[in-house]
Amino acid sequence: MTTGPKIDASIAETIISPKAYAQGTPIDDAFRELRKSTPLGIAEPKGYEPFWAVTRFDDIQFVERNNELFHNGDKSAVLTTIDADKMVREMMGGSPHLVRSLVQMDNPDHMAYRRLTQSWFLPQNIKNLEPRIREIAREFVDLMLAKGDTCDFARDVAFLYPLRVIMEILGVPQSDEPKMLKLTQELFGAADPEMNRSGKADQDVEAGVGAISETVAEFIEYFNAITEDRRANPRDDVSSVIANGQINGQPLDHFAAMSYYIIAATAGHDTTSHTSAAAFWALCEAPDQFAKLKNDMSLVDSYVEESIRWTTAVKHFMRTATDDAEVAGQKIAKGDWLMLCYQSGNRDETHFDEPFKFKVDRSPNKHVAFGYGAHVCLGQHLARMEMRILWEELLPKLKSIELAGTPKRMESAFVCGPKSVPVRFTLN
Amino acid sequence: MSENAFKTWQCRTCGYIYDEEAGDPMEGLAPGTRWADIPDDWECPLCGTPKSDFDMVEL
Repeated sequence: MTTGPKIDASIAETIISPKAYAQGTPIDDAFRELRKSTPLGIAEPKGYEPFWAVTRFDDIQFVERNNELFHNGDKSAVLTTIDADKMVREMMGGSPHLVRSLVQMDNPDHMAYRRLTQSWFLPQNIKNLEPRIREIAREFVDLMLAKGDTCDFARDVAFLYPLRVIMEILGVPQSDEPKMLKLTQELFGAADPEMNRSGKADQDVEAGVGAISETVAEFIEYFNAITEDRRANPRDDVSSVIANGQINGQPLDHFAAMSYYIIAATAGHDTTSHTSAAAFWALCEAPDQFAKLKNDMSLVDSYVEESIRWTTAVKHFMRTATDDAEVAGQKIAKGDWLMLCYQSGNRDETHFDEPFKFKVDRSPNKHVAFGYGAHVCLGQHLARMEMRILWEELLPKLKSIELAGTPKRMESAFVCGPKSVPVRFTLN
Repeated sequence: MSENAFKTWQCRTCGYIYDEEAGDPMEGLAPGTRWADIPDDWECPLCGTPKSDFDMVEL
């Protein structure tokens, strides 16, 4: 690995700590210090291969857009320990990945696999889904309001509404939604004892990797059956596209197809859930912003965008340098591993005015919460539309909102957001 | 469609839509800015794809 500025050991431990992301303040403090003192430095936390922590907005964008120079798939695309990496490679015939979705692919496969479903997620197609998504939003708003004057906005609304939307797009029946939610939370909440498969706080490597691979196996078993069904009875849903899709005239590689379902069935709702929950939390803490939005609902699009920046549900992805490179004047060697710290980029003082303030009318608001470059989030247009519709249906009905307890975030350094947001509300 | 009618262009990578009629004020492109008047080095605001990798689309 190239030599370069070293990150303070305690900060290096903080930026990989699931608890620090759950607590919020420690992670914001750590990244604030890094942006100031070591914006592109080498972190060497115990048990991990050393990696570069990329913390500034411009540098994250630079790495993200140079997809040939910085690969997703050469090493693990998500931060992992040396021991876990070794175990995964032993299980997966040398591959560092438990799944092979768009996230783990590089070109030419990435482009070919992305194009398979891209048209489904383009603005002109999801526009056709708006009436049905609005019905779903109304259903969950009605359920929330029927609860009286309090609810847990994360559990009662934010977890369930985007789940219903993506499951309908995939063609998964409503009766299977609890299973899909549970498996998703096991996958992304692997470090959180309230979410993971074992219910334990400190799992050893074998148990941790084992639990995730069991979750993946359960997903694969489920989507094998969906594949068989859609090959026999194709429908107008994304599962039929995956089941019957071809790349270069051949059916999709089975493992890649299963991984495609898994990424759609998990990332397709979890990040929107986290963002919606955090957005409502933010409004509860900022009555002036709630009032501003209520007085001018034309701000709903910028409220959604600010929520996406504010939450930054995906905290990082890793990239591997395919050749010697230079980023912000720093030499990066071929094979170096880089952590793209999206939350830090979205709080970069050199890019955002008052980045630690939640502003429903923030403009401009160019952020990196969806990534950038070829791997930019496939579902970003759907996510924005879902949230816009939810707020259009809910906010006009509310007179006041406030927290009715202490919100809690999931413990995760990868995909992280609120798991509980107790709120009290009054109606107009 | 008349030759002078406003047109829409879409990014091949991420699906961002540039509508000449609406422009994109956040990008400094006023409503009515024609695609041909956008500099060649302009990039998709959502993913950085170059202007040359946009397609004209009818919505």
